[in-house]
Amino acid sequence: MARLSGLQRDVLSLYRRCLRAARAKPVTNRGHFQALARNEFHKHRAVDKKDFSAIEYLLRRGRRQLEMYEEAGVRDVKV
Amino acid sequence: MFRTALLRSARQAVRAAPRWSAPIARPAARSSLLQAKQITPSVRFQAVRCYSASAGLSKDEVEGRIMDLLKNFDKVTDTSKLNGEAHFHNDLGLDSLDTVEVVMAIEEEFSIEIPDKEADAIHSIKQAVDYILAQPDAH
Repeated sequence: MARLSGLQRDVLSLYRRCLRAARAKPVTNRGHFQALARNEFHKHRAVDKKDFSAIEYLLRRGRRQLEMYEEAGVRDVKV
Repeated sequence: MFRTALLRSARQAVRAAPRWSAPIARPAARSSLLQAKQITPSVRFQAVRCYSASAGLSKDEVEGRIMDLLKNFDKVTDTSKLNGEAHFHNDLGLDSLDTVEVVMAIEEEFSIEIPDKEADAIHSIKQAVDYILAQPDAH
């Protein structure tokens, strides 16, 4: 795989954080959280890697969403 | 009179001592027998496991477990290309997001945590195997 840019690494790091956060959820619902993260990231797979402003916007939105779903009170999601 | 009484009580005390000590000594002897019985099997069957001993992961075992994991991964469609040298992107057709998922699954399988920097450097089964073998706490 080609060398990753800083922004690409940020995206992968956010994805990793999402999957790690899913592990903290109840075992039965863990798959839902993983599927949610997967869907959200794959939805924007077609974004051009040179479109920095779009990627940065999506990163910001993703981080906010992660913070929301990370809360211990959130136990399940509908995918 | 006083001397004889003293002597008699002393003699009685001496005579009483062994009579009392006998029942006390018996359970002690029995318990030591029991203890001997309890100890012998543990010595013979090695009932004590040393958890500090290294698990001794072999290269084949690590490789097999990673292959099984990839076989069950829904994004891997062409399992014929699955071998010890397979590259996630070039051979298995996984993109960078899928690679992250694979590396996370490997983390879970071997109960370790791979830091971002090292995780970004794993792009093939061989690299993953080498990384796991280098981790002392992987099991």
